[in-house]
Parts: sequence; structure tokens; C-alpha cells
Amino acid sequence: MSALAHTSTTSYNYEIIRKFAVMAVIWGALGMFVGVYIALELAWPIFNFDTPAITFGRLRPVHTTLVIFGFGGSALFATSYYVVQRTCQVRLPSDMMANFTFWGWQLSIGLAAISYMMGFTQAREYAEMVWPIDLLIAVTWIVYFLVFVQTLQKRSQPHIYVANWFFLAFILATAILHIFNNMEVPISFFSLKSYSLHAGVQDAMTQWWYGHNAVGFFLTAAFLGMMYYFVPKQAGRPVYSYRLSIIHFWALVFLYMWVGAHHLHWTALPDWTSTLAATFSILLLLPSWGGMINGIMTLSGAWDKLRTDPVIRFLIVALSFYGMSTFEGPLMSLKSVNALSHYTDWTIGHVHSGALGWVAMITIGSFYHMIPRLWETRMYSTRLIYLHFWLATIGIVLYISAMWVAGIGQGLMLRAFDEYGNLAYTFIETVAFLKEPYVVRAIGGVFFVAGMFIMVFNVFMTILQSRREREMLEAKLASKMASA
Amino acid sequence: MRHEKIETNAGLLIVLTLVVISIGGLVEIIPLYFIDETIEEVKVSGVETVRPYTPLELRGRDIYQREGCYTCHSQMIRPFRDEKLRYGHYSLAAESKYDHPFQWGSKRTGPDLARVGNKYSNEWHVQHLIAPRSVVAESIMPNYPWLIENKLAYNDIAERLKALKLVGVPYSRTQAEYEENVKRFGEDVASLLDINRAEENLIKQAEQGNYDGMPGVITEMDAMVAYLQVLGTMVDFKQFEDGHFATFR
Amino acid sequence: MTELLTWFTSMEFTKPFALVLFFVTFVSIIAYVYLGKDRSKRFESYRYIPLQESDEKCNEKES
Repeated sequence: MSALAHTSTTSYNYEIIRKFAVMAVIWGALGMFVGVYIALELAWPIFNFDTPAITFGRLRPVHTTLVIFGFGGSALFATSYYVVQRTCQVRLPSDMMANFTFWGWQLSIGLAAISYMMGFTQAREYAEMVWPIDLLIAVTWIVYFLVFVQTLQKRSQPHIYVANWFFLAFILATAILHIFNNMEVPISFFSLKSYSLHAGVQDAMTQWWYGHNAVGFFLTAAFLGMMYYFVPKQAGRPVYSYRLSIIHFWALVFLYMWVGAHHLHWTALPDWTSTLAATFSILLLLPSWGGMINGIMTLSGAWDKLRTDPVIRFLIVALSFYGMSTFEGPLMSLKSVNALSHYTDWTIGHVHSGALGWVAMITIGSFYHMIPRLWETRMYSTRLIYLHFWLATIGIVLYISAMWVAGIGQGLMLRAFDEYGNLAYTFIETVAFLKEPYVVRAIGGVFFVAGMFIMVFNVFMTILQSRREREMLEAKLASKMASA
Repeated sequence: MRHEKIETNAGLLIVLTLVVISIGGLVEIIPLYFIDETIEEVKVSGVETVRPYTPLELRGRDIYQREGCYTCHSQMIRPFRDEKLRYGHYSLAAESKYDHPFQWGSKRTGPDLARVGNKYSNEWHVQHLIAPRSVVAESIMPNYPWLIENKLAYNDIAERLKALKLVGVPYSRTQAEYEENVKRFGEDVASLLDINRAEENLIKQAEQGNYDGMPGVITEMDAMVAYLQVLGTMVDFKQFEDGHFATFR
Repeated sequence: MTELLTWFTSMEFTKPFALVLFFVTFVSIIAYVYLGKDRSKRFESYRYIPLQESDEKCNEKES
């Protein structure tokens, strides 16, 4: 291929990727730290300190926003710009537009976190941002879409690689979800307060159509794009089956949009809607596992890499958690199971086996692959990567087992009756029961956050090391020039 | 058509993806606006009993959202025996039809609040909000002492009602709209929904209700307790035959 | 319009309809993707795109 000859790494826009990558790691550490803090508040309410800005109700959206949109979002910007440039073998069309997406996104995240703490919110889960931030995000997202699509269009490769399909679907779906879910009427031009356009049942349906597809497209499809590039790259082997990836893609993007209503089983939402959602949730198991198999089997014949390569470990454990939580999800979407699990910590545990096990692990793995290439050096310490791996894994296991105990335990207590047919437990008795699981969950969180802080350190040292190496190289060149 | 066509054509890939991702949402959301049975009709002797919030209740609801109460409390009772015993009749769609946004919640770290209205006294709520553990020893709810310290801001109450009117809540501005409300909700309620009298109504309700136990000052606590006390009280299930609402499910 | 929507929400009609529709689509996609040796070979050749990048030598490059 002639295109290969004259494209080199220097012609890619790596600067924008570096910026997003650094911010992803920082938001991750910060967002997860807030997560641990609110976990402490649940175990010991004294941590609320009677201070409005840091009460659980205001900090919880800070945690979800920083982690999903700050960490996850920045990681997706970084990896999608990396993957689309490299698989299309072309530079992003406009540095200015790319920079705009960076500042627009970072500003949105920062403003959102501060505004929640000040009490400005839409009070709709994962879409709490007030209307001016919604507008900023919408504009940023449209520019992101343009940058991405223009890169695809001027590619020097005939094919659009499968990873890019997933990134594209994620960008399109997120745009639709964001716009339709955030239709709202501000009370005045100078007020941050607004009321959502929809009400009651329709608002609930729209919100969970958005909420579950934030999971489906933001936290799944896009990270599958990451998987389809970084697993083969790190393993040095092509993905297991391209045909499977075609089926995987179309089935996944079609099915996900139907399942949101399984968050509304047994509510005032009509039965037909939630039945439909449950049915599609079961069907969704197929593409989910198809994708997981495609990722894991990429390693088939090179399993020894699991022993020697910590980055591969992150990627494969991520896929295992992906498989586990996409099995648990359909299970919990069954109405009979949901009757027990809904409103309990089982849901919280499920979310975190996806968010920590899948999203964070695949991101961390991909970053340990990508960061040395962005800064043209090696990671500062491989041993710290191993340490990070074990802290993260132990943290997740503690977290989700604590939440299984808490959720299933509380669910069973709430529906228990004594021999006279009265309720066996008051609500507050079940709250008292949650104390130990909440403490264990906080400890699990501390493990995971500790791993993230180690990553921050490792990345920071890698950047320093890259700078040192470059300076040494320049000094060498200079002395050569001088002596010549 | 070969799949390669899609793989080599970004425009085609975009269009097809858009089509495929739109179907699910369209099929599940659009009908909810058109099928009449989605929201029950709740009328007692020709008058609708589910009404929009009064100005004071609405401000309470705003504060409920500001503090993120929905992160720990649901407002949606499911049709199960244990929930009936614990919270009361399952929630109707009609009961949240004026909720912009809905506050059904997704997690019960604390109990459901859909029918908390009239369950406890105003004094209990005030004490519980200021210091939950002084009333329920094992509670893990944060203290909200500032609710009783902060004066309620209500200078923009008319703007709030106007915004809600714009999204379809039947607050009235004109005489014709007011009379329409009289027909729908009865005269007493209709006068509470008059935007022109919003501030006056708010002050009157706060003073007469004296929810915070401090006559003369209108605090955020007044609004919050007024809101909590109305939750789930708009449908009097004794007026309906058993199983009446089951036909809507 | 409303009639059509009501028809749709009636599970006795929509269930078999949707089942047939989705099943046929799904099976034809599977058949298209997996049947045909040439097509399969062609599809699988695209696996190598990420390994053919410029700044890295890759021995699995085919063209």
C-alpha cells in the first residue's frame, strides 16, 4: 500500500489524545475518590458534616458524572481519536475543532460537578446537568461528530475498521439521547432552573431510555470499539472473527435501544412496555456474549501472554467482567428477579461490575498500551501496573460481593412476613442490616481508588521520563552538531 | 448489497446506524403519548382529584430536587403485598402526571415517599429533617438543618409556574383558563392554580399551614414539609371499587 | 394513527409479527455473513487493518 509509505506517527494529532488521556486519568481518580467518600457517608452519616455541598444527595451526581463522563468520556475521546487516526491512517481534519471538543468537554464536566454541589440540578439520573451545560455538551458533541466523520471520510484506507463503527454508533446514539432526554424549559433566561418537557410516565420512559443507553452506547458500544482495537494490538494478533464482529455490531446497536424500560418494571409504566424491554434484555445476551467471545478468543493460541503481560490481563479481565455483568443484567431484567432486586444495592453492585470491571479495566488496559506510544517511551514501571491490577481486581470483588449481600439480603428482608402475615421487618431494620456490607463496599472502593492513584503516579512519571529522554536525545544531537 | 458497501461508505454507515438505533425508542416512547389508558382518569363526582402542586408545594419539590433526595428515596410503590402493607396502594400513573421531572427514583436507601403525606405530623418532619437520628436512631440520612435556617426564595414563583404551564401543567393566567380549571378541579383548587395569585397563595399557605412551627417566617422547611405532606394524598382510594385501577395495567 | 398504535400494543398481534420479522432478518444476516467461502475469506481479511499500521512492522501483512 502506497499510503503506508508516507504516513508516519508524527503526522497524527497526538497532542489532543495526550490531553484527553491525562484528563481521563485525573477525572477517574477524582471521581472514584468521591465515590469512596459517599460510600463512607452511607456507612457513617457523620461524614455529611451538615454541609450542603457534600451531602450524599448532592455528591452522588458528582461521582456518577465525573466517572461516567469525566473519566469514561475523556477516555473515549482519547481512544477514539487514536484509533480513528491510526486505522484510517490520516490526521484529524482540524486541530482547532479537536481542541474545541477538549475544552468544551472538560468545561462541561467541571461546571457540572460544581453546579451539583451548589444545588443546581435537573434531578434526572445521569442527566443532572442544568440547561446551559446541556447546550455546551450538545455543541461539543456535534463538533466531535464532525471531527470523527471527516476523519473517516478522508481516510487513506479503503475500509472503515470495526472499532470505528462502534465509536460512530456511540457518537450518534449519544447525540440523540442527549438531545431528546434534555428537552426542558428554563424558568427564565437568567436562571439555571428548568422543568423537563415530559412528565410522569413519559418522562420516566424517556429518562430510562436515555439512562440505559448511556450504559449501552456510552459505556458499552464505545468501549467495545476500544476493545476491538486494543486487544488485537496488545496481543499482536488479529481479532478472532470479523464476521462475528459484523453480527455483534448490528445486533447490539439494534437491541440496546429497547431495553431501558426494564428499569421501570412493576411501576406505573404500562405492562406492554416493560415486557418488551424484558424480552429484548434477554435477547441482548447474545450479542453481548458474542462480543465477549470475539475479544477473549483473540488470545486463543497465545494464552501464555496472560502470565507475562499485565496489560493483557487488564483487557481479558475486563472482558470477563463484561461477560458476567451482561449475564447478570438480563437476569435482573426478568420481572420476578427485578421485583426483588429493584430499589436495592444489587443494582448498584451490578452497575459497578460493569463500570469498574468492564469500563475501567478495559480503559486502564488500553491506556497502558497507548500512553507509552503517545509519549514515545515505555511505561515508567511495569511492577506498578501489576500492583494496580491486583488492587483493582480485589477492589471490584469486595465491592460487588458486598452489594450482592446487601441487595439480596435487604430484598428478602423487605418481603418477609411473620406467622401472622405481618411484615417481619421494618424498613429501618433493613437499613441497620446494611451497615457491614456498606463498610466492606467502602473498603473495596479504597482498593480500587488506590490503584487509580498508582496509575496517576505511573503516568506522571512516564511523562517525565519521556521528557528526560527527549532532552537527552536533543543534547546528544546538539553535541554531534557542534563537533561536526 | 454487500456489507463492504457500508464498511467503505461513512455516510451509508451513519444512515443505517441511525435507522437501527431509532426503532427501539420510537416504538416504546411514542405510543405512551397516544394511548389513553396509559394514564388513569381519577375523578370523584366529576372533579379531577389529582391536581398540580400549589406554589408552596412546588417550591418544596424544587428543594427536594436540589438536595438530591431522589438518589435515596423512590416515589413509586409497586403492586406487591409487602409494599402495600409498608407504603399503601400502588402508585398510579395519574399521580405523577404533573411531575416535571418525574421523581420515581431507582434506589431505596431510605423508604419510599410516594404516600408519605399525612403519615407523620409536621413537627415530626421538621425534627426528622433537622436531625434524622434524633427520631430514628439507626437512620443514615444526612441532617438538613439549613432548611429551617434558609428563608424561602419565592420572588420568581410566577416564572416557575409559567414555565410549567408551557410544558402542559394547567396553571391559569387568563380568566378563561381559570374557569376551565374551576370545571376540572373545583373552585378551591382552581384559585390555587392561578399564576396571578401565585405569591399571595404561597404566603397564605405557608402562614396558615405553619409547617416549620415558626409563625411569621417562611423558610425552606415550610415548602419542603408542605410538599412531603401532599405526596400520595390526591387519590382517595376509598372512593373507588377494589380493582378499579387494575383495568389500566 | 391511534388505531395502529393500539394494534401494536396488543401483544397477541405484535408478538408473532415481531418474532417473524426479527427472526427472518437475523437469520438472513447470519446466512449472508457466514455462507459463501469467498465472502468469508474477504471479510476475514479485514481483521488485519489495525496490524497494518505504518509505524509498526507486522509479519501478518498480506498485500
